[in-house]
Amino acid sequence: MTVLLLRLAGPMQAWGVRSRFTERRTELAPSKSGVIGMLAAAAGRRRTDPIEDLLSLRFGVRKDQPGTVIRDFHTARTLDGKAPMPLSSRYYLADAVFLAGIEGDCELLSGLDEALRHPVFPLYLGRRSCPPPHPLSLGLREADLLDALRSEPWQASEWFRRRQRSEQPFMAEVLVDQESVAVEERGDSYGVRDVPVSYDPRRRDYGFRNVERRMVPVGPAQGDPHDPMAALKEAIPCS
Amino acid sequence: MSTFVDIHVIQSVPPSCVNRDDSGSPKSALYGGVRRLRVSSQSWKRATRLYFNDRLDASDVGVRTKRVVETLATRIAEQAPDLSGSAAGLAEEVFKAAKIKLSAPRSRKDAPLESGYLLFLSTSQVSRLAGLAIASSREGKALDAKAVKKVFKETNSVDIALFGRMVADDTDLNVDAACQVAHAISTHAADNEYDFFTAVDDEKNRSEEEDAGAGMMGTIEFSSATMYRYATVNMDMLVENLGSGEAALHALEVFVQGFCLSMPTGKQNTFANYTLPEAIVISVRDDQPISLVGAFEKPVHANEDTGYLTASLEALSAHARTIEDNYGLRPRAGLVVSLQNSDAVAALGERVSFADLSGRVRDAVAPLVISEEQGS
Repeated sequence: MTVLLLRLAGPMQAWGVRSRFTERRTELAPSKSGVIGMLAAAAGRRRTDPIEDLLSLRFGVRKDQPGTVIRDFHTARTLDGKAPMPLSSRYYLADAVFLAGIEGDCELLSGLDEALRHPVFPLYLGRRSCPPPHPLSLGLREADLLDALRSEPWQASEWFRRRQRSEQPFMAEVLVDQESVAVEERGDSYGVRDVPVSYDPRRRDYGFRNVERRMVPVGPAQGDPHDPMAALKEAIPCS
Repeated sequence: MSTFVDIHVIQSVPPSCVNRDDSGSPKSALYGGVRRLRVSSQSWKRATRLYFNDRLDASDVGVRTKRVVETLATRIAEQAPDLSGSAAGLAEEVFKAAKIKLSAPRSRKDAPLESGYLLFLSTSQVSRLAGLAIASSREGKALDAKAVKKVFKETNSVDIALFGRMVADDTDLNVDAACQVAHAISTHAADNEYDFFTAVDDEKNRSEEEDAGAGMMGTIEFSSATMYRYATVNMDMLVENLGSGEAALHALEVFVQGFCLSMPTGKQNTFANYTLPEAIVISVRDDQPISLVGAFEKPVHANEDTGYLTASLEALSAHARTIEDNYGLRPRAGLVVSLQNSDAVAALGERVSFADLSGRVRDAVAPLVISEEQGS
């Protein structure tokens, strides 16, 4: 199978799955609905456009630099200053770096890869106020999703690598769709409701998926941060 | 593929507290492993909109209010004084036709009905809705729901087109924002500081018998920093929201001015932190919007002679070049306004004055917007 790899990093990200009313939460890793939605936006799809072809994509994410949850206390008033609106708390994930992998049909993924490089709508890391500070795509790999997430070099920032003083490689948590793990290897899993069924604001709908959790060694800490050109060199044509 | 206009601003603020959390501390974020000063995107967007209000024709600006019945009834009474008695009822009919739920306000008795959330209406939308209500009343016919919805969808004001609108009851009336504003963060590690203050009681001070102690005391939390601010405008979306390339170019000019010159008003009377950007970089792109905040992931260090500013500009310039060289992504045009003159500034684009900036941005973007209009 083919895997499209993304590096999701920036000062702030927010991947809400259970936000209700004035509590706008974030998960500790990118959600499937958030990342698939971002790909759809890059390709210029409206919220009401069909996304059936994207539903077959498998998703996994590796926490290369877990980040910190911060709370943003949010007030709002009418522009004339007269009426106050409810106070809300918005949670963000600060200073995090993730490697996300999307597995599926090669033609579809190379189209999405191209779309990420020339997006129709501006992209953001879960919330509109969190634009990514660099191009997101690391390109396509010909591999199984779990293998691609295991073998990609560590994406953490230089300061974070330096902080890992141990000689041992950094253990990164990998969260991946259960279907992409061989049945005999399955074990530590949990359910989450972030499979996009429809982004249409009139009937936004999400399905459940089972997520398999793994710890994989990445690193070791290297002096040289990742080389963005490597992704281009390794670019593979669809066969 | 779309046309994007990226706006990067380097701006220093002296001790100030323009945007604080519920404990009164200036907002902060972690980046590159260190704490930074942060001003939320919402805060600066509001400052930008208030700037619009002061500088734009009323017809270009919207109101954001729950008191929609009151707003519309006032306009109906203005346009048709003879209907002022039934204006509130007519206004209610209009919102019912648009399927926007109304309810009695909680705190104000006998006041007109309100919408359950803030509704963003442009001045021309209010006028046209009033016109529809008056016409239906005169003709004795029921309101045409389709015509009402049409008004809600058309003639968006500049601020609605830029910042979007959400209508929970009827998502058909939503407008997707054409601009995206990032939280501003300091280019360097910045901790909050505390100002302990005392205030003298004049009468007590005058009295011979009293001690000279303060009448009150307290602390104010503040921070000072050099910040990186970023916003991007999706020109294709702006054209779609406003209905014409010409209107979109006008809105872009207004946004460039408003975003660069506005300042959130938190504790401004205490700190008088009226600063202007030290440097503005505008990149017109046809590939993808790119925030240059990565330049500051490694926090900038202050230089004894030049402070954070020169180092911030150098980091910004170096990072922009790194992105260009590694990804091959070059902007179509680059324009720079800077109080400093250095190689770093020169490398970021063509130097212009702020007075010329929005006009020059318009010139750079116009061919891309107009040709697409003709092409489609």
